[in-house]
Amino acid sequence: MRQALEGSQAIARAVALCRPDVVSAYPITPQTHIVENIAKLVADGELKCEYVSVESEHSAASVALGAAAAGARAYTASASQGILLMCEVLYDIAGLRIPMVLTCANRAVSAPLSIWNDHQDSMAVRDAGWIQIHCADNQEAVDTTIQAFRIAQDTDLPVMVCVDGFTLTHTLEPIELPTQQQVDDFLPPFVFARALDPRKPLSIGTMATPDWFTEARHSHHGAVLAAAEVIAAADADWQRITGRCGGGLLAVDGPDDARIGVVCMGSITGTLQDARAASPELPAARIIRLRSYRPFPAQALREACAGLDQVVVLERALAPGGVGIVGAEVRAALYGTPDAPRVQSVAAGLGGRDMPLTTYARLIALAQAEATTDFAILDVELDKLPEADRYAAAAMAGGQA
Amino acid sequence: MSTITNAGAPTRADGTISLTELREQQPRFQGFVGGHRACVGCGQALAARLVTEAAGPDVAVANATGCLEVFSTAWPDSAWRVPWLHSLFENAGAIASGMEAAYKARGVSAKVLAFAGDGGTFDIGFQSLSGMIERNHNVLYVCYDNEAYMNTGIQRSSSTPHAAATTTSPAGRERLGKRHMKKDILQIVAAHHMPYAATASVAYPSDLRKKVRRAMEIEGTTFLLVHSPCPLGWRHDGAKSVEVARLAVTTGLVPIIELERGSLTGSMPIREPRPVVDYLRAQGRFEHLFVDTPAAREELEHIQALANYNMERYQLRGSGHDARDTAGADTVRRGGVRWA
Amino acid sequence: MKQYPRGGIAEPGASLDYHTGSWRLQRPVHVHQAAPCHHACPAGEDAQAYLALVEQGRMQAAWESLVTANPLPAITGRVCPHPCESACNRGQYDEAVSIHGIERFLGDEAIRQGWAYPVAPPPADAPVVAVVGAGPAGLSCAWHLLRAGLRVDVFEAESEPGGICATAIPGYRLPPDTVALECGRLMALDGIEFRPGQRLGRDIQLHELRQQYAAVFLGVGAQQARPWSIDGVTPGDLHDGLALLQEWKRVGQIPVPERVAVVGGGNTAVDLCRVFKRAGAKRVMLVTHSGMPGPGVPDPMRALPRELAQAQEEGVEVLTHRGVRRLVLRGEKAVGIETVHMKKLPDAEGRLRRVAFEGTESLLHVDMIVPATGQDVDGRGFEELLKGSAALAIAADGAIGTPGVYAGGDVTGNAGTVTAAVGQGRRAAAAIVRSLQREAGIDWTDAAPVAFAALNTEYYEPMRRHHGAVLPPAEREGELEVEQGFDPAAAQAEAGRCLSCGNCMACDNCYTLCPDTAVLKTRDLAEDGSHYVFDYEYCKGCGLCANECPTGYIQMVVEP
Repeated sequence: MRQALEGSQAIARAVALCRPDVVSAYPITPQTHIVENIAKLVADGELKCEYVSVESEHSAASVALGAAAAGARAYTASASQGILLMCEVLYDIAGLRIPMVLTCANRAVSAPLSIWNDHQDSMAVRDAGWIQIHCADNQEAVDTTIQAFRIAQDTDLPVMVCVDGFTLTHTLEPIELPTQQQVDDFLPPFVFARALDPRKPLSIGTMATPDWFTEARHSHHGAVLAAAEVIAAADADWQRITGRCGGGLLAVDGPDDARIGVVCMGSITGTLQDARAASPELPAARIIRLRSYRPFPAQALREACAGLDQVVVLERALAPGGVGIVGAEVRAALYGTPDAPRVQSVAAGLGGRDMPLTTYARLIALAQAEATTDFAILDVELDKLPEADRYAAAAMAGGQA
Repeated sequence: MSTITNAGAPTRADGTISLTELREQQPRFQGFVGGHRACVGCGQALAARLVTEAAGPDVAVANATGCLEVFSTAWPDSAWRVPWLHSLFENAGAIASGMEAAYKARGVSAKVLAFAGDGGTFDIGFQSLSGMIERNHNVLYVCYDNEAYMNTGIQRSSSTPHAAATTTSPAGRERLGKRHMKKDILQIVAAHHMPYAATASVAYPSDLRKKVRRAMEIEGTTFLLVHSPCPLGWRHDGAKSVEVARLAVTTGLVPIIELERGSLTGSMPIREPRPVVDYLRAQGRFEHLFVDTPAAREELEHIQALANYNMERYQLRGSGHDARDTAGADTVRRGGVRWA
Repeated sequence: MKQYPRGGIAEPGASLDYHTGSWRLQRPVHVHQAAPCHHACPAGEDAQAYLALVEQGRMQAAWESLVTANPLPAITGRVCPHPCESACNRGQYDEAVSIHGIERFLGDEAIRQGWAYPVAPPPADAPVVAVVGAGPAGLSCAWHLLRAGLRVDVFEAESEPGGICATAIPGYRLPPDTVALECGRLMALDGIEFRPGQRLGRDIQLHELRQQYAAVFLGVGAQQARPWSIDGVTPGDLHDGLALLQEWKRVGQIPVPERVAVVGGGNTAVDLCRVFKRAGAKRVMLVTHSGMPGPGVPDPMRALPRELAQAQEEGVEVLTHRGVRRLVLRGEKAVGIETVHMKKLPDAEGRLRRVAFEGTESLLHVDMIVPATGQDVDGRGFEELLKGSAALAIAADGAIGTPGVYAGGDVTGNAGTVTAAVGQGRRAAAAIVRSLQREAGIDWTDAAPVAFAALNTEYYEPMRRHHGAVLPPAEREGELEVEQGFDPAAAQAEAGRCLSCGNCMACDNCYTLCPDTAVLKTRDLAEDGSHYVFDYEYCKGCGLCANECPTGYIQMVVEP
């Protein structure tokens, strides 16, 4: 049934449809309404689960960890500082190979304090060993949340569903919520073979000496890479049931003969698509949206870039002193392929800075420019800075400083 | 192969039984077995053994990072025979909460135990502990208090007693060990208005077991602070771990008490109080106090005053025969009757 | 090849694959040391063993354990000076265990309930041994011979068995019924033939016994008054102390002086004083060279402290450190004695000598003076063995140097206690059995006992010693027994005070306190008699178990 729902509420309803056993939450600032909505569902008796209001994000992740280890389908949501406070727990959950789902309502990280959207938080835990899937809109957030529970239990890996904070979480959209039957058909009951069970008392969380640590990491790395197939398969299965598809590992949109490609993640996709449609005077770019960021879909990306001369990566986070985070990976994936396109990378929309339709034109201009911008912040307004801090764009062009 | 005669059924034709077989026939539940890497005479290993024995098999353990976790589970080995989860240093209270919530949601009948050292309880894990108690999860939280960060190299914690020397509160010309008082974690915990919070000591295993059983029966969060000597960090012979723990109790420095809803409901009276110097002299961490200087003399008096304060505060001075006091609580009988 | 599983899970108890025993520099071992009571008992009783059974309420089993060493517990429980209790480690903790009280309780219960002595009748063709004298030594010897499967003929000059217990020890501390029943039950056992009225040298002859029997045991006692005089002077109506006691037992009355001095410091002297009091003497004085028994007294009287105390309660005046310097006679009758204060002091060579202090002489007016300073052996019938000595010299096993002849008890000039006689009878029985190429089956411990310092007394709770009821002095008349025994509850509680020194009492401390679960509890006894085994695969040698072992049974030894 199609209904107008705020993103947070839609995600909460999706979580509820997955019959979680334990939901933990802490209202770090900035907070979304996801866990509030789940709490209300529990309060109203519409969802039977243990709802644990913890005293910190660290504990929110830890409660979910403990719950999942004890055989429960576990869920939590967070953002920004919360993700950073969870950081060591997130590494631990992944290293223990514990399946669970977390919604990251992507936001900027302090300081300066910002409650608005960018991808700095999930990027900060990029290497924690989680699966990270970015959603373009709230419908996809709903669908991906449900898929995430199945991906988690099929891979013994935790899944972070990244949804742009505010931009999506606080936005009302018409949403097609799946029926409980559809979800039940798609998502089998949660079974965790290594669960803490007095009848089979395993020890979880042992110490690995240097003799074994490398092997532990190798298997973890391999598992995240192998998750690519599981992600694609889950999306395909979901499509069979609901007719909706998130795009598998990445979504490609644009003319087959496009020479320019734009690589992005999250809700900016829709803005770029609208701008492209509204700007017939500009070359139509192929918009490649990375849905799965971890595992990084290198092969799918190479295929998506076939025939392109130019690729511009639109970053939503910053690695100060380095180059574009996603751009570097795109560049690495395409490096050495025959007729590899030029790859440039820019960050935009940091800390909730509005990204108007004109962003598209600026990206096209960058693609058409002769000079190569390895990396720059696209929408910086230098006159807002004192003279001494107005570093010239050229000086900031990736690694030349 | 080591054998014993006629030690229990089934026996071989020659009347012997292997130790491996005998180990499987022990009369008490063994939730924590040997082969772990604890130091010789480790008080924490002993305490963990006693607690798991008393708690029985229908439990799952959430273990904070620390000595206990490290020495018990160097992969592929594990000394645990109960389900056991280690996550991080500061989140034992939280993962225990999650485990308990999971069991509740799934209808699994198992009590969750949370194990942590004093660092993981008094300091870094205090927040998650407090959260767990506030939510009243059905968890027995056991803090194995060895009064410093032993796993990381004997650094002072907020549990380290006044004047004890550690690697971060060393004794020197200007300083006589730790300058600050030991945090009164039991009162702080009990202030959550929780049903049961108690102290115990490895020197009084019967008392400890009773308290574990008591806590296990309570639906809700319970807390046990177990004084567990560390031969390495306290600098005493491993053979003396129980003796030193006993002196901690009989001097009054470690009151053995029970608090219910924050009120004192039980204490182990001290039948014959010992001077604190008996306890201090037994440990290298206090050796700097045994020099003939005004500061050292004052410090000894100070520590005695702390013990006297405990005696007064909890009315620890015994008044004659009492089966629950320091002389009566762990009296042995022929045939191990006290375990019956 | 071991493989790292997903998530690094470990199997339960997998640490047992890691053998921490290799860390060990020292190892705990079980060392069973004799308890001081066992070591100190002249009869070789292992009190600890029967106390343990009493504590469990297994009274008959306790008695059976006790009589494997001493068949006369109802008697010794009353009259033995119980060196076991003086040695008892518990004495250094609070008060010694009342071993004698429990011993007596068991002996009385056995008589009351008619428990059968745990012995099988010997085969009809078993060798027969002659035991001469049915006193404690002879009875003990006969019993232990029977236990070893031999037959015994017991010859006794008197009509009843018991020796001095039957003839001389007053009934208020050893009731005649107790003696008659305990000795009678023993003599009635199948395999023992009791032959009363048979005096050596009169009715039977040693050389005949030696011919007719596989071996001969002499336990004829020492009942001949020792010559006594002061500078060669004796009163005309001189009575010997032992003879008066025998008279009191036999006819129930003795000459009653108004004022009497009894000279001596042993039980015979004290007994006689108390008998005089009971018989009606106004003033009874005990005069002795020795001091009152007590800690640090170099020359204590040999009398039992509690007997002495009771004598004083009854009005007996005890004059310690006093020697008789002179008899004051009117005609042949004593009317007084001159005493002088004396004390044992070291001489130039450091030997203790009695020194009389001039100027301390004083005169006691008495109507009678009775020496009770010991008896000599009546050598009739075995003069050739005595070779002019006052007593038979014996080896540790009772052999006297004449093939096939053994001796024990007062005839050997022993310490003069019933229990010592029981022990000598037992040792001699063992030697006889061995001489007949048989398995003696009689253990004896001479190993050093476990010291108090080796115990961990933290695990024991102070508990007052139990005492049986004592008749108030005013009610002590005639042969009424002064001390009452324990009831079963008191016996059981008192037995529970035993510290189990040097032995495993299955307290579980080692099992409970091992941080490495390297002590395993056995269902039945382990090979070494303990209830536990060390699993050296895991024991790290910390020594906690040894430190916390209450009884000193666990010792740490350097790793071999």
